[in-house]
Amino acid sequence: MTALLDVRDLTVRFALPKPSFFAERPHLEAVRQVSFTLEAGHALGIVGESGSGKTTTAMAAIRLTRAAGGQVLFEGQDLLDLDDEQMRQRRRDVQLIFQDPYSSLNPRARVVDIVREPMDLMEIGTPEERLERVRELFALVGLRPDQLNLFPHQFSGGQRQRISIARALTTNPKLLVCDEPVSALDVAIQAQILNLLAELKEKLGLSYLFISHDLGVVRHVCDDVAVMYLGKIVESGPVQALFEAPQHPYTQALLAAAPSLARRKSKGYVRPLKVSGDPPSPINPPPGCAFADRCPKAQDVCRQTPPVLQPVAGTQAACHFPGPADV
Amino acid sequence: MSALLEIDDLRVTFGTRYGEVTALDSVSLHVDAGETLGVVGESGCGKSITALSVMGLIPQPPGKIAGGSIRLNGEELIGANPARLRGLRGGDVAMIFQEPMTSLNPVFTVGDQIAEAIMLHQNVDKAQALKDAIALLDRVGIPSPDARARDYPHQLSGGMRQRVMIAMAVSCRPKVLIADEPTTALDVTVQAQIFDLLNEIQRDFGAAIVLITHDMGAISEMADRVAVMYAGRVIEEASADDVLDYPQHPYARGLIDCIPALGRDDHRLAEIPGVVPPLHLLGAGCAFAERCAHKQDRCGLEKPLLAAHGHHPVACHGIEEGRI
Repeated sequence: MTALLDVRDLTVRFALPKPSFFAERPHLEAVRQVSFTLEAGHALGIVGESGSGKTTTAMAAIRLTRAAGGQVLFEGQDLLDLDDEQMRQRRRDVQLIFQDPYSSLNPRARVVDIVREPMDLMEIGTPEERLERVRELFALVGLRPDQLNLFPHQFSGGQRQRISIARALTTNPKLLVCDEPVSALDVAIQAQILNLLAELKEKLGLSYLFISHDLGVVRHVCDDVAVMYLGKIVESGPVQALFEAPQHPYTQALLAAAPSLARRKSKGYVRPLKVSGDPPSPINPPPGCAFADRCPKAQDVCRQTPPVLQPVAGTQAACHFPGPADV
Repeated sequence: MSALLEIDDLRVTFGTRYGEVTALDSVSLHVDAGETLGVVGESGCGKSITALSVMGLIPQPPGKIAGGSIRLNGEELIGANPARLRGLRGGDVAMIFQEPMTSLNPVFTVGDQIAEAIMLHQNVDKAQALKDAIALLDRVGIPSPDARARDYPHQLSGGMRQRVMIAMAVSCRPKVLIADEPTTALDVTVQAQIFDLLNEIQRDFGAAIVLITHDMGAISEMADRVAVMYAGRVIEEASADDVLDYPQHPYARGLIDCIPALGRDDHRLAEIPGVVPPLHLLGAGCAFAERCAHKQDRCGLEKPLLAAHGHHPVACHGIEEGRI
């Protein structure tokens, strides 16, 4: 077992406006001491609601957002220690697919140029070889060669996401960061892209860092999952264990909240676990467990001491009272 | 007995640069008091246009209601005079929109906005309307409603804003509540809260709900009856259990099979090949024919009609002929 990406105690801080001229600048900790490991050839899903820090974690892990502390070991090398040129060279191993295929492609460039650009920047091969590679990638992601010279607006959402994937694959990356790659797409198209991603993972031995709020999608694509809440991982583990026997009350609430075909109105279904309210603000996080205010199991200790991630029955959970949901 | 809201053979067209395209074609739906009708389909299938037609909010031009009828309690809404429609909108028929941030006015407090709706439809003064607004905010589960009523929309979270929208929609005890993708912009835990709230409100007020969504999971949890739409037509309509357990139309089957479900580990998702055809390129045949594995000559030539073939109403030649 080799870890492709080993993230340790990653912390990201954003500066907030000063309340007054002489006051000290306040900071918001968007990601608080997050650690995870991604094995080569695996897919790690990061799930959480908006504002939980899932995207910031991934962006900091590939140095697109500056980290305030921690280590990111990519094949044993700390990415946070590299100088700019070394990092630029490393970028060919790490590529990215964005959520919105409408704004992540240059509307004025032909798609052949969009897909070729990473090779131009990295100075890979001769122009003819680059074009050949683009053709190859087009076939790989299921686009036709006669579409090479079209502009992005001439494609549907699903096709545009295929173009993004082709662009991400040009430099033969080892790690692909997918930031909500299918949430802007219709379900029928979503299935096409998810199948493509699964196929590419198998065929090219890719590893994915897969960010999504959709638990069904994560279950389908990923081998391991980390659940984030207010900048921290509250539970992580292999997909099957985490989905079938979640230990953290937040994970249980998330699973109970996700709409599912298994629950029918006609059968008088009532949600087993309800959470009320919204997550607390990250500007002034509560001293104890961030979920305490919405948690049905919360006790005094939860509001005072932050729980640490520790192994519980098949997964790792950061909770003072982990255990199966009592229904 | 006629239903509370009946849409019959509705046809809506839009003038575009490709000429006139048909956005809705022979759409017939009905919903009764206390019932939830789920309308499901991909983007562009006409589900929102259906909702806007009921509300009398189709921009004309470019839009045109080219035929059919919409009856609320037996009263014809198409061609009704604008004053009467204004009275119905927000009164007997209310709508919850997808994006609560853009559908609330940013420069008025939420209390004022709810009070405005109440004053428009009920004969009360401003003080009473504000009091009612606060009671409604309390009803939809907003903590400390007195204080929140004085907040502006930007001070509230997405879930809170959607609750405000719901408070506004139910302020005049509508008979029909149309919810157009009410939770698309929200997180799942908040979405669950909103669904629970809608169900509670239906129990209390006995309103008919038309839930427009692309999410089969939401349909399963919320709907009594389902209409599946594709390219401006209803292609299958039956009880939620029938559609979810025994989907007949190849498109409905595909839509259900392609959902990555929480409870099952399938190696590869079933996918529907291709994309929805643009409306101006719809031919004479079935709009789904090009993506359908069961396509035969007749599918390309003749539009199938919604009719009960065996199990429940479905618009498909293959099922009519008994070969699917």
